[in-house]
Amino acid sequence: MRKAHNIYKSKKLIKVSLEYDEYSKIIKSITIAGDFFLYPEESLDALEVNLIGTKLEKYTIEQKVKKCLSSSEAFGFDSESMTDAILGCLNPEKNT
Amino acid sequence: MSFKFSKIRILETGYNSGPWNMALDEVLMYCANYDIPILRLYGWQPPAVSIGYFQSMYEEVDVKKCKQMGIDVVRRITGGGAVLHESELTYSFITKIYPKNIIESYNLICDPVVMCINKLGFNAKFAPLNDIIIDNKKVSGNAQTRKKNILLQHGTILLDVNVEKMFSVLKIPSEKIKDKTINDVKARVMGLNRTFEQVAYNLKESFSEKFGAEIIADNLTMEEKENTKKLTCEKYTSDPWNWKKKL
Repeated sequence: MRKAHNIYKSKKLIKVSLEYDEYSKIIKSITIAGDFFLYPEESLDALEVNLIGTKLEKYTIEQKVKKCLSSSEAFGFDSESMTDAILGCLNPEKNT
Repeated sequence: MSFKFSKIRILETGYNSGPWNMALDEVLMYCANYDIPILRLYGWQPPAVSIGYFQSMYEEVDVKKCKQMGIDVVRRITGGGAVLHESELTYSFITKIYPKNIIESYNLICDPVVMCINKLGFNAKFAPLNDIIIDNKKVSGNAQTRKKNILLQHGTILLDVNVEKMFSVLKIPSEKIKDKTINDVKARVMGLNRTFEQVAYNLKESFSEKFGAEIIADNLTMEEKENTKKLTCEKYTSDPWNWKKKL
């Protein structure tokens, strides 16, 4: 199991912390924080729950993000930047 | 669509702690008479740092330093960034009638705030999504949430700015860039250098003009006071709420 952390600058900051399996790249736990706005706010909790068990690869993550936020309005980030923020955890230079 | 109200209930609740202030905003969303919107004006005593709903207290605030300096910490029910509340007037506006479009609703409620600032001799304007600026300097930050079809928008109107104090209690990514960050923020934020009372008077007048409403000065009911006390203890001073997100 590997822990990773990433700070991503979109229009607002997105901070992601996650635990994933180093071999399968499957997310075991994830927390997303930041100074953005999201309506309704509970959508972020739903996104975090839905990302557990998901493989850290662009297409899969992006689809999950789009689906979970499809009936929400975000200000300060979009689906693409949220996906990049999550995948940025794989960058060893930024991992903790 | 025109948004007019016959009356606005005005609550001037004075200076209170961060947790109590945030508890009352939430109580007013759920317990208020929804037919009459509420404009609440308030301050913070002791000073407080509030963090946005999606932020992590661990990441954003030097809580130990806050304790040493007698500064409260609290998490808001609204998004956005961390704020040191000290020399400012804070307002809350609660209504069940509002534009469903998020930007339009910010614009609608920020408009009387802009009017208030301009009555004080400035040339302020709304800067979407949620700021009010004078000569590209932020003078007011605003945030809103919607629960059960009730909208709450609260916002700050800065009277004075102490950027050094702000950065002594907020965590920044690197100490190396601290001086640069302080100078950047100093160049981008300003206070009105007016009294709380001057701003309060003009804000009430501006909301009345904007919405064609009679302003009704009122006090909190016993139920609102009791619910606020309860919510302060059970939620806004609690670790599960304030320390929810650990990265």
